[in-house]
Amino acid sequence: MKKLLNNWIVQVLLFLSILGLTAFGAQIVNDLMPPYILMICLFIGINLIMALGLNLITGVTGQLTLGHAAFMSIGAYASAIATVNYDIPFLLGVLIGGLAAGLVGIIIGFPTLRLTGDYLAIATLGFAEIVRVQFTNMKITNGAIGFLGIEGSTTFPIVITIAVTVVFAMVWLENSRNGRAMLAVREDEVASSAVGINTTLYKIQAFAIGAFCAGVGGALFAHTTTFIQPTDFGFLKSIDILSIVVLGGLGSIPGTIIGAIVLTAAPEILRPLSNYRMMVYGLLLVVIMIFRPYGLLGGVNIRHAVRRAIMWPKKKQPGRGE
Amino acid sequence: MSLLSLKDVTIRFGGLTAVDTVNLEVQQGEILALIGPNGAGKSTVFNLITSIYQPTEGAISFDGKPLVGIPTHKIADMGITRTFQTIRLFSELSVLDNVKIGAHCRGKAGLLQALTRLPGMKREEKELEEKAIVALEFLDLATKKEEMAKNLSYGEQRRLEIARALVSKPKILLLDEPAAGMNPQEKVVLMEMIRRIRDTGITIFLVEHDMKLVMNISERIAVLDYGKKIAEGNPLEVRSNKAVIEAYLGSGQFKSRRIRR
Repeated sequence: MKKLLNNWIVQVLLFLSILGLTAFGAQIVNDLMPPYILMICLFIGINLIMALGLNLITGVTGQLTLGHAAFMSIGAYASAIATVNYDIPFLLGVLIGGLAAGLVGIIIGFPTLRLTGDYLAIATLGFAEIVRVQFTNMKITNGAIGFLGIEGSTTFPIVITIAVTVVFAMVWLENSRNGRAMLAVREDEVASSAVGINTTLYKIQAFAIGAFCAGVGGALFAHTTTFIQPTDFGFLKSIDILSIVVLGGLGSIPGTIIGAIVLTAAPEILRPLSNYRMMVYGLLLVVIMIFRPYGLLGGVNIRHAVRRAIMWPKKKQPGRGE
Repeated sequence: MSLLSLKDVTIRFGGLTAVDTVNLEVQQGEILALIGPNGAGKSTVFNLITSIYQPTEGAISFDGKPLVGIPTHKIADMGITRTFQTIRLFSELSVLDNVKIGAHCRGKAGLLQALTRLPGMKREEKELEEKAIVALEFLDLATKKEEMAKNLSYGEQRRLEIARALVSKPKILLLDEPAAGMNPQEKVVLMEMIRRIRDTGITIFLVEHDMKLVMNISERIAVLDYGKKIAEGNPLEVRSNKAVIEAYLGSGQFKSRRIRR
C-alpha cells in the first residue's frame, strides 16, 4: 500500500481525484447555498488565491510588498480584454491574466528587488500607483469610467478548484529545494549566498509566482463583478490582502487560509452592526494582533503539532529528558 | 600547488586600506590560522575570498581558477564554504532544514521539479536528507534535528553553522572565529572537531582570537596588522616573532611623534 502511494502516477491520479471531488463538492454547495452566502464563499476563494501569492513573497521569501493590487489589476484587465475584445474562452483568459501579471512581476522584480525592507515596500507602493494611473488613462481599459460588459463566468466550483490547486502547489513548493532556498533568503541573505543560493533568482521567482497568483485572482474577480475600474485596485486593496497574510501568520499556508476566511467573512458577518461595522472590524484586527502577534497560526508548525497530538498518548517526545 | 592563493590583494574602502597587498597561500589539507589584533582585516580577507567584497587590486585563485568577479553564490559550488563571526543561522527553521539548505549547491531541482514532484526530485530530496543527517551526526547534533535553530544553545549553534558549511563537501572550510563565546570545555570539543574535519580531507582556514586554540591546532599561522601581513610560519616561529609581539603588545615606544604631545 505504501509502495503504491509512492508511485508518481498514483499520486497524480490521487491529486486529480481530489480536485475532481473538490469541484463536485463545490458544485453541490453551489446548488444548495443561497446566492449571498455563495458570493461570500467565492470572494474567500479569490482572496485566498491572491493572499497565497503574497504569502510566498512576503511570508516565505520575506520581501515586503505593498503593491499586490497592481498585479491583481493587471490580471483583471488582461483577462477582461482577452475575453471581451478577443473572444478568448474564460479559463484561458484567466491564464492570460495570470501570465501577464507574472511577466510584469519579473520585469518589475529586477530593479526593485535590489531594495530591501521598507525601501522595497515604498518602491512597490509607487509601482502600484503607476499601474493604477496608467489604467485610468488608457483607452483600451476605458479609463476611469471602468471596463464594462465582462461576462460573469466565474463560478464557485472553478474558484475553489483553482484555490485548492494553488494551496497544493504552495505546499509542494515550500517543501522543495526551491522553497527552502526562499525561506533561507528570508532568514539571512548573506548566509544564503554563502551556501550557494542565488538570492536574486529566488526573490524574482517568488515575485513572479506571487504576481501570477494575484493575476489569476484578479481575472476571477473581473469575471465575478463583470465591471472593473482602476479604483477597485487601490492601495487599500493591497493592504486588505496583506492583512490576510499577516493576520493568518506570515509564511503559514494554513494561517493564510484561515486569514482569508476570517477577513473576508468578517465584514459580512458584522453587517447587522451597520454604521459600527468597520469600527468593530478594525477592533477585531487589533485584538487578534495583541493576542497573536505572529498571526493566528504564525510560528505553529502544523505537521509537528499533528504529530505531537498523535504521539502524545504513546510516548514522550524523543531526544528530551535524557 | 597551493589550493587557495591570494596575490597582492588590496581592498580600499574610501581612504581606508583594510587589506594591503597581502600574499597568502593555503596548502591542500593543512590547518592555517589567520590572526591579528582587532580591525586588522581578518574577516575582510574572508569576505574577499567569498566574493562578498571585490578586491581593489590583486588576484585570488582557488584550485587554479580565478575567484575575482565570480558572484558569491557560485563560490560555494566551487568548494569554498564558511561560517561567520556572528552566528548567521536560519533561525526560524529547523536544524535539519538549515543543513539541507547548506547542501543547496549540490542539488539541481528547480521550480518545475518542485511542482511536478517526479521520482527524480524525490530521490534527490532523499539523498539530500541522508547527507544532512550524516553531517549532523558528525557534529553530534542528530538528536536535535527537529528543533528550531534559534532554540539551540550557543555552542550547538556554532556547531550547526559548521554542519551547514560541511554538508556540501567543500574543499576548503573557512571558519571565522569559531571559538568566540565558547567556554574552555566547548573549545576543547571544537578543537577535536576541527581536527576530525581536516582528517576527512578538508582544508581548514580559520580566523581566531583565542591564542591557546590557535597555537594548539594550526600548522601554520599568518599574522595581519593594519591590513598588512607581518609574519607567517609555524606556531613557534610566530610566537617569538618580534613584529607580532609588537603588534599585540606594543613596542614600548611611540611610533609617531604626533601622538606623543
